[in-house]
Parts: sequence; structure tokens; C-alpha cells
Amino acid sequence: MFTNTQIDTNALPQIDQVELHPIDKAYLKIIVINKLLVYGVIVLALILAKLFLVDVLIQSYFWLLAAAVGLLCLSNFMLALLAFKKRMYALRDKDVIYAHGLLIHRLTTVPISRIQHIETSRSWLSRQFGLATLNIYTAGESGSDLSIKGLSEAEATRINDFLSTTVNGGS
Amino acid sequence: MAAVDFSQPARQSSKGILVIFGVKAFKFIKSFFILFVAYGISMLQKKQLGISLGWIIFGFVLVILLLLVFSILKYLNFKFHVSADDFHLDTGVINKDNTVIPKSKIQNVYIKQNFLQQLINVVSLNIETAGDNKSEIEISALDKSTALALKTQLFTKIQADVAAEDLPKEADVFFKVSLKRLLMEGISQNHFKSFLIIVSFFFGLYSEFEKYLKELRLSERIEGAVRLDEQSLFNLFLVNLFLIVVLLLVSLVFSVVQTLVVNFNLEVLERERTLEIHKGLFNKMSLTLTPSRIQNLVIKTNRVKAYFNLYSLSVKQAMVNKKQQKNFTIVAMEKVQIDHLLNKLLESYSEETETHKPAPYYKRILWLRLVLIFAVLSGPAFLIFGNDFWLINLVFLLFGLVFVHYKFKKTYYQISEAHLTIGGGFIDTITNILETHKIQALQFKQTFFQKRNGIASVVVSTASKTVVIPYIKATDAKRIYDYLLFCVESQDRDWM
Repeated sequence: MFTNTQIDTNALPQIDQVELHPIDKAYLKIIVINKLLVYGVIVLALILAKLFLVDVLIQSYFWLLAAAVGLLCLSNFMLALLAFKKRMYALRDKDVIYAHGLLIHRLTTVPISRIQHIETSRSWLSRQFGLATLNIYTAGESGSDLSIKGLSEAEATRINDFLSTTVNGGS
Repeated sequence: MAAVDFSQPARQSSKGILVIFGVKAFKFIKSFFILFVAYGISMLQKKQLGISLGWIIFGFVLVILLLLVFSILKYLNFKFHVSADDFHLDTGVINKDNTVIPKSKIQNVYIKQNFLQQLINVVSLNIETAGDNKSEIEISALDKSTALALKTQLFTKIQADVAAEDLPKEADVFFKVSLKRLLMEGISQNHFKSFLIIVSFFFGLYSEFEKYLKELRLSERIEGAVRLDEQSLFNLFLVNLFLIVVLLLVSLVFSVVQTLVVNFNLEVLERERTLEIHKGLFNKMSLTLTPSRIQNLVIKTNRVKAYFNLYSLSVKQAMVNKKQQKNFTIVAMEKVQIDHLLNKLLESYSEETETHKPAPYYKRILWLRLVLIFAVLSGPAFLIFGNDFWLINLVFLLFGLVFVHYKFKKTYYQISEAHLTIGGGFIDTITNILETHKIQALQFKQTFFQKRNGIASVVVSTASKTVVIPYIKATDAKRIYDYLLFCVESQDRDWM
């Protein structure tokens, strides 16, 4: 389909054939805890409203509201669970690949030669589970930066080291 | 321009005091403009605000004096010099700042001239580095020859390969815009944008001066006039139509004047490797384009412009701040000149590559978006027009047909080993060109619904812009993805 016939496009390395690794299962716990916190606050607010507000609207529609929140919560959790399986990453000789998203699936590849700097960050919560986030920055706009969440600390360090040496060795 | 010595700390030209003062005074007047107007109006009505004219004048003189003293102090404390590898700058009246910029980190040097500077015949020199906008340095008053010499010095050594060896040579004037073409460019512009600006300006002005208008009883008069016309709906319609026509005319004039002012005397100089752009009426500027820093090229025209052979070229460079990015646009060029520039800025660019279209699914997406927007608009329309809103639906349907037809017709993409070209636009015809070795990241994007239809988009990011190859077959998208990655990774070339 390309005009330049010198290269057989079928013989190129294909993105489909890359074996993508799922991220660490423990990250699911972090997602769940974060979501529980958010919904916990909402539910708490609802209950407090039920107990202390004399507003008629709240009182009469309380169960409707509660059901709505429950439904939202349930669907959100379902989506998050399904989307979790879509979070995958892979390393190749020349690039880093990260895929995520259920409703909108994005598969992003950053050539290692285009990496500006790499950063590993650990939040308090992820430290409890021994997880880390690997941020890979390019010179492009923010959309072209990669943020691989939920790697085990050892894996994050390994990738970080590999990328650092390759980037430095390359230039 | 002989040898000007920059090795010792030196101040700018003493006219700098005037420039600094001018800028400060302008800012001061701008920020207290409303207050002046308010005072003026209350004076007109012979009402005192409790402050006599004498005090006002005294305060004014005091402020002017303070500004003048501050300008002088600022001028005295502003010193710069160039050492072998760095540019040094000392500033600050109370807090002393010492800035050192390594020559190698200097990204761009611009020479600009605003209206005041034109009057007293000095130029300002801007030094831009990579990093945030605050790192920009401006020396506001230099002789033109000094500025050019300083620019040359800043570029020597480090970027010897690019700018310096190019600078001393006399350049050919490649393109000089004529007033007639500039006028045509202004008239044939997409006026929708300036219409929006004018409308918002109009309403902003109205709410700003509402109070004073009321005081002058203008609003009552206007309301009275409107009330007379309100007798029939038709008259109201006429009034609105008249208002819209007037605003349209104003926005047309606004577009034309803006194009004229910004691009006055536009001149493109061609040097061996770089291009230089000079333009501006009140704010004169000269910019240098370096091919290696160019990330994206955008060519714009529209039906009317294409008829008059008017094309504009925007050059997106890496490490240039957003405000400056706008200035790298050359308007009113002929097709031949565009082709020439493309050949100069891109290596071996040819348009003969095979053209591909997005999948017909793209039309469906466009319709879906339109329907969504319209569904939202339909509510208020129903409330205002009652059952007649179906008429508006009809207009909308026609618009939708035209929109989707042209949008789809204008969207295409071409891929060769060295370049990626993406066409698009509805009123404008926009062509995006980028070199494959400047790609920073690639993204394969597919929604849940697109997956079932075997459709996907490829998002291509460079250091200055992100473009999308929209809604093509997923298999094609994957091949393009693989191919572009191959191009980036096999060429092993720097993106800057």
C-alpha cells in the first residue's frame, strides 16, 4: 500500500506480534482503594445529609439518590476491572510500548532515541504494595509522554536502568 | 557592522530609558484606562468626585516622575556582555539578578521594533532559551547594527554550522508581499474567527460601560428606539439582521486591518541554509528559520484564496514559545513559492506520493458529532421558537450535508519514507507536513465501537504539534504504525 516498494512492509516488525506484559496485579488493589475512598466520601455525605438535613427534597429522594450512586459505583468498578486487563506494556530494542483503556483503547509507542528523561515515582500507597510508576518524557506535547503505572519496584528499576543506559549509549 | 566589543559589561543605548519609560507608561495608562474614562465622563457632567482637577494633575505628574526615575534606575542597572561561551546579564534595581546563558543553550534570537522604537530608531533583541517562557531575555534598545553584531556573536562558535556562516553573506530577497496581495489575503480570510472576537469585544465593552451609558441616559434612548421597533416581530428581525451585517462588516475590516498591520512589508530573505522573515507595521520583527529545528509545516488556503493563488505557510519549530510560534507564518504566497520553500525546508519532498482516504466510517462519526451538538442546541431552540424549530432543523440538515461532504473530501493522507502529509479542513484547506524522523511518539487509538467496525486512528506527535490520521481501517492503521516506527528507528537521525 505504500509507494516506496524497496521495503516489504510485511517484513517489518509488527506491533501485533509484540508480547505485551500485564502490569502488577497488586495495582488493582490501589485502584480499588482509591475508588473506595471517593465513593466512601460520597456515601458518607449522603448519609449525613439524610441524618441532619431537614430538606424535604433530600429526604424524599434519598433512596433514589442512593440507588443512583450505587449503580454508578458498580458500573465504575466493573469498567475499572475490565480496563485493568487492558493495561499492558512491553519493551523492544528500540522502543517502549504502553497500552491502556477499555472504551478508548490507546497503544502508545515511544522510540527510545526520542526519550528526554525518565522518572520513577512512588506514592505512599504504592510504597505499601511495593509498586512504582514509570514516567517517560519526550520533547513532544504532553500527549506523547508515557506514564506506566503499577509496575513492581524491581521491574521499574530494571526498565529505568535499561532505558537510561540505552539512551545514554545511543547519543 | 565592523567589530563591536561585547566582552565588557555595557549598557544598552541611552535611548533605552525612553523605551522602558514608554512601555511602563503605556502599561500604566492601559490598566487605569477605565478610571480615566470614568473621571472624564463625570467631568463632562460637571459632577465632582471629591477630587479637584489640580490634585489629579499633581498625581499624574507624580506618577510620571516616579516612572521616569524607575526607568532610569532600571536602565543604569541593566548591563550585559558576551564571553567566549556565555551571555551575561545583570539586572535589578533592588534585587540584583545575574543571568548567565550558555551560547549553546540559546535557541532563538529575534530582532523586533515596536512603534516607539521605530520613532527613535532602535531595535530590541530577544534571546530565547529552551525551557519556560520566563527564561526569555529582552534588551530593549540597541542600534540596529549593534543588534546584528550581537546576534552574530551569540551564534558564533556553537551554532557555527547553522547560522553564523550564513549571516555575513548578503541574502536574496525571495519573497516580498505586495499591498494588493496582502489586501486580498485579508479579505479572503475566514472571517468567522474575527466575527467572534468582535462580538465578544462588543459585549465586553457594553457591560464595561453599561454604568456610564446609563448615566448619559443613552441606554434609555436606545431602549426607547428599540421599543418602537418591537411592534412587530419582523422589525425585530430586521434590527438583528442589521446588527449582524454591521458586525460582519466590522469584522471584515478588522481582519483586513489586522492582516495588514501584522504582515506589513512582509519579506522573506533566503540564505544558504536559513530563511529570514521581516514583517510588521507598528511592531517590526525579524525572525530566523532554521530547517533543522522545524517540526511541522502547515499550508493553509481556502476556495477563494486558491482562486487568487494565495497560500500561507506556518512553520512550527521546536523550543519556541506559543506566543512566538504564531509569528512564523508567511502569508499571501503563490503556489510556486510554497513549493520552492517546501523543497528548501524539507529534503526531497514530492507530492506525487499515493493519496489515501479515511474509511467511510469517518462520515458516520462526523454526523454523530453534529447530531450531538444539535441535540443540545435543539432544546433552547424549541423554547424560543416553539414548534417552528423544525425549520432550523432543515437548515441544519443542509449545513450537515455540506459540512460532511467537504470535510470528508478534504481529508486525506500520504506517507513516504521521509514525509507524512495529512490534509483536512472544512472552510480552509489545511495541509500538514512532517518529516518522519521528527516523530516523538505514535499512538494507535481505537474506541470500543471502532474496534467492532475495524476502524482506528493513528496519532502522530512531534515536538511542536500532534496530528491525527483519522478513522482508517485498523489493518492499515497497524501497518502505518509499524512503518512509521520503522522509519523513525531505522533512520537513526536526530530530531533537532
